[in-house]
Order: sequence, then structure tokens, then C-alpha cells
Amino acid sequence: MQQLVRGAALALTLVGGMLTPTVPAWAQDAFRIAGVLPLSGAFGIIGENMRRGVTIAIEERNGRVLGKPIEVSWDDTETSTQVAVQKTTRALSREVHTVFGEVSSGSTLAMMKLTEQRKIPQLITLSADDRITGSDKSRYAFRTSNTVAMENRMIGEFAQRQGAKKLYAIVADYQVGRDMWAALKADFESRGIQVVGVDLAAIGTKDYAVLLDKALRSGADSLMLLVVGGDVVTSLKQGADVGLAQKMRVMGTMLMDETLGLAVGPAGSVGVNSTLRYHHTQDTPRNKRFVEAYKAKYKELPSQYAGEAYDGMSWWLDTVESTGVWDKEKWVDAFRASVRKDSVEGEKRMRACDNQAEQPGLFGVAERAGGDGPIVMKVTERFGAASLFKPCS
Amino acid sequence: MSTFLIGLSIAMLLFLLAAGLTLIFGMLRIINFAHGAMYMFGAYLAYQISAASGNFWLALLAAPLGLALLGALAERWLLRPIYAMPHEFQLLITFGLILVLEEAVHVFWGLSGRSIAPPAALTGSVEWFGTAFARYRLFVIALGLAMVVLLLVGIERSRIGLIVRACSVNPAMAAALGVKVNTVRTAVFAAGAALAGLAGAIAGPMLPIQLQMGTTIILDCFIVVILGGLGNIRGAVLGALLIGMTRAYGQQWLPEWIDMLTYGVLIATLLLRPQGLFSKKERLA
Amino acid sequence: MNSIASQAAAHRPVPATATSATRLPLASADLRASLAVAALFALVALTVRDDGVSFMLSLIMVWAIFALGYDLAFGTAGILSFGHAAYFGLGAYGATWAMLRFNLPFSVGLACAMVAGALAGTLVAWIGRRVTGLYFSLLTLMLAELVSIVMLTRLRALSGGVDGIPGVPRPQFMDIDFFANSAFVWVVFALFLATVLGVHLLRRSPLGQALQGLRQNPVRLEQLGLNVGRLRLAAMGLSGAVSGLAGALLASLMMYVSPQLLHWKVSGDVLIMTLLGGSGTLLGPILGVAFFELLKELLAEYTDHWYGLLGVVFILGTIFMPRGLGGLVLRRWRRA
Repeated sequence: MQQLVRGAALALTLVGGMLTPTVPAWAQDAFRIAGVLPLSGAFGIIGENMRRGVTIAIEERNGRVLGKPIEVSWDDTETSTQVAVQKTTRALSREVHTVFGEVSSGSTLAMMKLTEQRKIPQLITLSADDRITGSDKSRYAFRTSNTVAMENRMIGEFAQRQGAKKLYAIVADYQVGRDMWAALKADFESRGIQVVGVDLAAIGTKDYAVLLDKALRSGADSLMLLVVGGDVVTSLKQGADVGLAQKMRVMGTMLMDETLGLAVGPAGSVGVNSTLRYHHTQDTPRNKRFVEAYKAKYKELPSQYAGEAYDGMSWWLDTVESTGVWDKEKWVDAFRASVRKDSVEGEKRMRACDNQAEQPGLFGVAERAGGDGPIVMKVTERFGAASLFKPCS
Repeated sequence: MSTFLIGLSIAMLLFLLAAGLTLIFGMLRIINFAHGAMYMFGAYLAYQISAASGNFWLALLAAPLGLALLGALAERWLLRPIYAMPHEFQLLITFGLILVLEEAVHVFWGLSGRSIAPPAALTGSVEWFGTAFARYRLFVIALGLAMVVLLLVGIERSRIGLIVRACSVNPAMAAALGVKVNTVRTAVFAAGAALAGLAGAIAGPMLPIQLQMGTTIILDCFIVVILGGLGNIRGAVLGALLIGMTRAYGQQWLPEWIDMLTYGVLIATLLLRPQGLFSKKERLA
Repeated sequence: MNSIASQAAAHRPVPATATSATRLPLASADLRASLAVAALFALVALTVRDDGVSFMLSLIMVWAIFALGYDLAFGTAGILSFGHAAYFGLGAYGATWAMLRFNLPFSVGLACAMVAGALAGTLVAWIGRRVTGLYFSLLTLMLAELVSIVMLTRLRALSGGVDGIPGVPRPQFMDIDFFANSAFVWVVFALFLATVLGVHLLRRSPLGQALQGLRQNPVRLEQLGLNVGRLRLAAMGLSGAVSGLAGALLASLMMYVSPQLLHWKVSGDVLIMTLLGGSGTLLGPILGVAFFELLKELLAEYTDHWYGLLGVVFILGTIFMPRGLGGLVLRRWRRA
């Protein structure tokens, strides 16, 4: 008898963790959002920022949409695509109405396969890979943030406007990096900028000193730093030692912002030029409200990741509200045709042909607030949507 | 020339880390899988102390001491109970330690990366022969070389070193002669941990201080230890130099092949001279 | 292979009843307990139609297959490998290439995965044939790292690089929609059951006895006339094959494959799960996997600090449960 009880207890423990309360199909008691983001690991800080942005978007409407309360669940992908797929599958089985995520393009693409299969809307506000709204696009996945192609055009335009003549590039050795560089190289050359050298660096390279040294000695006036994640911090920190940003025009996409400035330190950050997905100084009424709310709750200014997340989620929720019905197909159709006149970056226009939002682009340079304060970004260039997007064919 | 000095600075950092690992293995026959996590913890500790006190040198002193304490506690409470068990259980328990250390860092310092500003005397670069050399890297090289000398002299020439080596070779005999073997073991593990902490503190101004810094460097550390021979400190120096230079010159000439080259050399070593490229047989120092 | 088995049969080595501090006897209690757990899995799959639960169950069974495969090398033959991610990942890729590039059916994909894993395992054992003990373990780690790096950088076109290859298919059979996890879980279950029975039969066979001799006393084995080198090749080959099978199943379950599956953390994870559960048994790896995955889920739901708590569990588990969970259960079971 004792054995049976022990056995049963063990069995219950085994099964306990597996079972989650099941919800009847397409329940309408609450609007459920599954936030599938890295909240630990290399991209943990990014995911955390995005979570905050979404939280503000939800609080702004008092946590309700279509008359029902909004329920958000946050699933940590641990910066692993495997876990992202696992968590998304679990979320989809809980009958959610929207999936939000992820950060890395690989994870986002893998998640899109699942959300497309289950026909659940997915909102993407960070991953830039062109395939997301290109070769792998899905009716249900929307991106309200920048694409690689868009950033490429910004960089080329920026370099030309700044009078760059000779350029050296250090590129992260992964698909997006290589693709981006191939397109950029052609673009630079077509604008009369000579590419004097390029080095591919494995993601996670601990020491950029040799590569930076090569760049400095190459005679180029500009350095294109196409690195991701922790490598941004590594390379810029080591660049500080040799006065990199003072000797060359350093530029890149998502290369610098207030959060990175903190991690790199002022010496390595000042003078670095970077695309800005979003900036808190943008003068629109919505942005002002958002920054106020964010500062009040989190005691700091919102980063690019938070701003883009807020923007996408509030746009999506407003669109859902505007349809007035509990029908995801109608939500998707409405979103595909919607224009966001007052987004935090200006006007954004969703394209029905590929579920990508057309939007303006920003470029900024890092400087110290008030001469010796923390690093802040000063917006130096603005690009209109028309110059950054090719029209739908 | 600049490539050479960069390689040397990488080598010195790797040596500091590898020395701790190889010391622990040589004496205690334990592979400290948590070594990378200790390195990371040392970096964060150094960050905290230097940020709070404004004094980099204090951090450089205090971080290793903090790790020494941590190491001593870990040896006494985590490792001593499992000495009698098969070696694979060390993996499990040190892995548990890694998780706990990473969580501690997460709790105290959050997820964002940190940065240590080196003291003013060590910032910027000096110009020699038309090339800029980062002052901080020169400092790392100097400190590394000093530690090499200190460790070799300490282990081979001093009385403490003699006791440590005796305990490693024949603990029963050493105990019979009145040496408290248990205390020596704890001390050695603490010393290894302190070296990891020192490496972390030194890496602070050079590399990003983030949660994953331990896992990214631990494999290189293992490679150095294997090349040099487990338990062989001289070997660790030479192994670190080999890897440091390979990385630096590799990045200069063939950046895409560095990793494969490194592993190729390593595998060849394990097959042909598993005791290490630089030793006759396993030895301490 | 035949000659080894027949040699072993002729010499009739003593059955593995001798125990070291951490191994357990009584294979039949082990099998019964494992089948009971399998029955439990089947029960859950039958009664709970939740897609997420089916996914979790499949994940546990896939990793259990991996752990059982790992234990063929570790618990049975005494080979401590730090590089099993290589066989797991190569199996996943083998199946993916077979199905995506050559449009071969699922079953063929699985077969390719097992062949890939077996070849890789045998190759590693052959490369390290003169290396023993700790150095062999380190060699397995470094070879696996080499494979990981090559797949990530040199063979980017084949492996999909950092981003991997999404869209790995599920099986197609009659008109059943295997994209629904509640259907796919049965495919996984069938293979899980087959693995449990297969490993059990292998352990009891003359070859299996010889492999266990490898762990207990290789010198004696040589004296008995058995070729230790060839036994090691066999152990690693079989272990690699089962690991490859698990890899292929995971790729199909996640509908995604990437070089992350070759990372040393995967090797570490399977070793830890096997140790937690108790090596050398059937029940051990299964319980170890189930416990690990479920504990992670459970802790993550209640606290943000589940990572550190998991670490504490490992530490306490190592000190107080050296025979692992499986050991704990089997001891109670046997007293019944």
C-alpha cells in the first residue's frame, strides 16, 4: 500500500509540471498576449527593455481592449532558438490572441513558422532580417520596425552626406551580416566611396584589437562596424584604448545608444554614429506621453528596444480596438491596411504586400550630456520613408 | 609589433585564468568547471568595488581576495563531500555552482553589461614607432609577467610550494609529517579561485563585463591547460603564449581559420602528447 | 561485431551484479519501472489533448532517448564523453538534409540520422583509440567543438549558419496531420519504447555484457581475449546512433535545426540529466530528463530566479543522492 502511495506521489509530481489549465477554443474572456522574448542570456537586456515598452502600451489603455482585460504572459527564451520554439508552441496551445517576439532573426523566423501554421497574429518590433517580410513572409506576422535593406540605405546615404572617401569594414560572420555587407559594398561603391578593406569576425570574438589596428592603419577615413550583441561593446571598448572614434568616422546600425554607452563607457562611445530605431527626443505628442509614462515607472529614459516595442504594440492594440469585433482575420486585414499617423517616430504606414511598416529612419551620434554626463544620442540625420523603401511590386 | 603586444596581452590574461585551473587540477585532481563563472564574478566584484570607491587598485586587490573566500567555502562545503565519488560528480556540483553564481550576478547587477574605467594613468595609448599601443594592455602584460615569476618561484622555491607539492604527490606521507592536508587543499582551491578573480578584475577594463563572459573564455582556458599539460604551470605560460599569439596573428592574416587552427593543434596534442606539449609527464609547476 | 559477441558468449563473463557505489543491479526491476513510466507517458498523451502538453511530453521522451543513448557509452561502457552533442546534432542535420534536400520520407531520415550518429561516434572512438581516461574525455569535447565550429562557419550553406534551417518537416503517413503535437507524440512514443526495449536487450546480450565489462575491468577483459579497442568502437557507435535518432526527432519536433544543437552545453546537459537520474540503468536517464525539464518549467513559473534554484538542486542532489533519482526509486521499488 505504501509503495502504491509513493508511486502515485511520484507520478503526480512527474505529471504536475506538465499539465497547465486548458482553455476552450478561442475564448473571449480576455485578450491574451504571449510575450516570447530573451529575458536572460546574451540578449536578456534587450528582451527586458521590450517587455517594458509593451507594459506601457498596455497600461496606457488601462489594460483593456475590446472591452475585455488584457493578459500578458512572458516566456523567457534564454537567448536560444530551441527554447523560443518550445515556449511559442506552449503559448500557442494556451490559445493566445497575439504572439510578441523575438529578438534574433533566427528565432523570429522559426516562431513565424509556428504562428503561421496556427494562424495567430505575431508582432515583430526588432528582428531586421529581410526574409521576415520577404521570402519567408506570412499573412499573420507583422513588423513595425526597421529592415536590413532600410538600414543599408540609411548607412550609404549617411556616409555620402558626411563626405566619406575611403572605408574599412569589420563585419560579423553570420548570414545577415554577410548579406548586409554584400549589399552595402555595392551601395558604397556606387556612391563613389572606396572600400579599402574588410574583415569578417566571428560572433563572440573576444579581442578586436588586431582588427581595429588593421583598420586604423589602412588609411581609411571611415569604419563600418557591422557587429552584433556583446561584440559591439567589446569592439568599442577596445577602440577606446586607441582613440578609434576620434581617428576614424565610426558608423554602424544599432551600434550605439544610451544603454550601450553605459556598457562601453564614455571613452569608447563619444563620436560613434549609429542608426537609431527610435529616440526619446522625437517631438511627437505620443512620444512625449510615452517617455513621461516610461520615466515615471522605470526611472530612466526608454531605449530603442522599448520605444519600438511600445510603438508596435500600441498600434496593434488600437487597430484591434478599431475593428470592434472579436475576429482575428478582421484584425489582420485591418492592420495590413492601417496607417499610424502619430507613431512615436512620425508616420508609419503598414504595407499589405509584405506586412512591413514603412517609416522614417534616424541617424545619431553619441556625446556626453552636458559635457561630462552619461552618453546620450544626438539625432543628426532624418530620412523620409520614401527614400528608404522600394514600393510594393 | 602591435600584433605581438596584443597577442602577449591576450596570452597574459589567459595565463592568469589557466594558472588557477591547472593549479587546482594538479593539486586536487579536480577540474573546476566553475572557473569561468568565478572569473565572471571577479569582474563584477571588481566593477562594484571600483565604482563604489573610485579606486581601481583597491578593486584589483579586493576581487581576488573575495574570490579566495568564495573558493575556500566552495571547497569545504561542496567539493570535500564528494572527493570519494567518481569524477563525473565534480561536473554536476561545479555546474550547480555556475548556476548559483550567475543567478547571484543577475540578482545584484541585473542584465546590462558593465564597464570598469581604468585609472587615468593607464588610459589611452603611447605612440611608439608610429603605432598606438594601449597603455592598459602594457599594464596587463607587465602584471602577467610578474605573476608568472611569482607563481613559479612560489611553487618551486618556497616552503609553501614544497608543502603543496608534497600534498599532491603523497598526501598520506605529508599528513604523517604533520601537514594538515585538508587545509592545504582548501588553500590551493582558494588560490586558484583568487587567480580567476584577478583575471576577471584585469579583464574588466578590456572586455565587456557581462553574464556570458565566463562561458566565452572557459574553452580557451581549457585549451591552454591541455596544451600546457594538466598541473603544469610553466606549460600554462607557454600554452597561453601559443594561443594568444595564434589568436592575434590569426586575426591579422587569416581570421576565418583561427578557431579551426586552434582546435587542430589541440587535437593533435591530445593524440600525440596528451601530457601536454611542454612537459615530460604530469607534474606540478 | 559478431565475432566479439560470439567470443563473449563462449567465455561467459560473470553477469554484471557487482556494484560500485553508484551503480545498481536488478535489470528486471529497472525495466519494469521504466515501462511503468512509459505507460504513464502514454496515459497522459491519451487523456490530455493539450498541444502544449504533448509538446512537453515529446520533448521529454526525445531527450530521454538521447540520455539512454548517452548512457550506452557512459553507464554501460564507462566512457565519459563530453562531446555527445556532435552525434545528436549531426543526426538532426542528417535527417534534415535527407528530408529537405532529397525529399526522402521521415523513416529514411531517421535512418540517415542513426547512420550519421553511428559513423561520428565510431570515428571519434577510432581517432582516440590510443588515448584513455580523462584525456579521451577532453578529446571528445574538442572534437565536438571542432564539428560545431566547422558546421557554424565553414559549412554555413549546409547548416544555415547561426540562423539554422527552419521548416524541418514532420512525418507524412496516410492523412494524419502530424503537425499537431497530439499526433506526433505517438511517433515519439513508439521510438521511445523501442529505445527502452532495445537498450535493455542490448545490455542483456553478450555484447552488452562485454561492454559492461569495459567499464568494470578492461584489463580482465583483455585477458579473456576480448578486443577492448573494438568494444570501444562498438560502444561509441551504438551510443552515437541512438543519440543521432534523438537529434532527428528533436529537429522534427521543433521543426527547426541549427548549429546550437552541436554546442557543448548540449553535451553538458545530457551528462547532467543522466547523472541526476542515475547512470547505468534504464530508469535513471528517463527520470533524470523528466525531472530536469519539469523542474525548470515548474520553477520558472513561480520565480524569476529559477536558474539559481536549479543550481542549488544540483548541488544538493549530488551530495545527497549519488545514485540519482533512479537509484532512489529502484531501491524503494525493490523493497516492495
